[in-house]
Amino acid sequence: MIAREALLLVLCTLLAATATHFLHPHAPIWYAAQEPLREDEVTLEIIAQRWHNDVLWLDARPRTQYDAGHVPGALLLNEEAADQLLQEHFEKLQDNTNPIIVYCGSEACQASRKIAQYLKDKLPTTQIYVLRGGWNAWTKLHGLGVKSH
Amino acid sequence: MHKLLTFGIIALAGILRGELLFDNDPLEIKPKPEDEEIETTFTFKNGGDKSLAITGLESSCSCLEASLDKQIYAAGEKGTGKAKFKISSFVGRHEKTLHIFTNDPDHTDQVLNFVLEVPAVVSIEPKLLQWIVGVKPEPKEFIVKMVGQDAMKITNVTATRQNVTFEYKEIIPGREYKVILTPTDTSGVTIGALKIETDSKIPKYQRQMAFFSIVRPDQVEKPVK
Repeated sequence: MIAREALLLVLCTLLAATATHFLHPHAPIWYAAQEPLREDEVTLEIIAQRWHNDVLWLDARPRTQYDAGHVPGALLLNEEAADQLLQEHFEKLQDNTNPIIVYCGSEACQASRKIAQYLKDKLPTTQIYVLRGGWNAWTKLHGLGVKSH
Repeated sequence: MHKLLTFGIIALAGILRGELLFDNDPLEIKPKPEDEEIETTFTFKNGGDKSLAITGLESSCSCLEASLDKQIYAAGEKGTGKAKFKISSFVGRHEKTLHIFTNDPDHTDQVLNFVLEVPAVVSIEPKLLQWIVGVKPEPKEFIVKMVGQDAMKITNVTATRQNVTFEYKEIIPGREYKVILTPTDTSGVTIGALKIETDSKIPKYQRQMAFFSIVRPDQVEKPVK
């Protein structure tokens, strides 16, 4: 009798957990760690192997974070001032022949993807990618980057 | 069976504990065209049966800075947050999210959605003019409309490339202009832009860009549906 009740309890728990996983609007994806790269995503390893790090970096974070440290040579192009910053950088972007890599703060931020999308119709002949892991991934491998003066 | 019921109730209470319930989600924000920043407040309640500690805030956009009035909310306690958006480049509808991280293992990441509706002041169509490499360089045109409350004039146009010619014509004074662009040749792939200056009283609308490119057939930009 006790064993049957225990089994029922376990089954109910499993049912509740399964329902939460599928129905909860903010349920975390359990396979996040193994999530494959999206078509427009690259890692630092890919950048090194495929292009020998010969890319143009765009930093999609707020200016304060960019000033505190960024990838050497990276241009600031964030959502909040995209049009104004694009006007500043356009001559450099139109002559650039290297792939463009956009990064934001971390895996969770969406700013890099928004900026990549923003640029795609303006620079239709340029390869534009998003860095998986963003600035966090870069600092883990290379340290704190360079500050703005 | 009553034991099962009791267990079910406890399990449900466990699911609910510590959940933030927002009074408005999504929160709609309607800035004026001239706004560079807009600040709003949002309210919520700890709808669970245990106190909840906020462990972090993260925005989906570099444009959003947010803060809450305290770090720990008792069960049933109400709270207030502030969200400040920098919107100098925004036009149209934008959806942004704020992630609020808590110490509740069932609700570690709770999301508040914002919808920004920023009215347009200038409209440039199409967004991009394209020619194919090797094809005869026919003139093409942008239509620039001043769709905001105030009329404004184009005062100057410059190109970021030397291999195009252009002229602009006033169609409706202060309201509609035609900018005609012609490449001098289409022998190679080119990306460029026209910088269009206006006499707008709002600084961020004093400079606009209209983009053009000469591309190979496989690089033709497909129109967004």
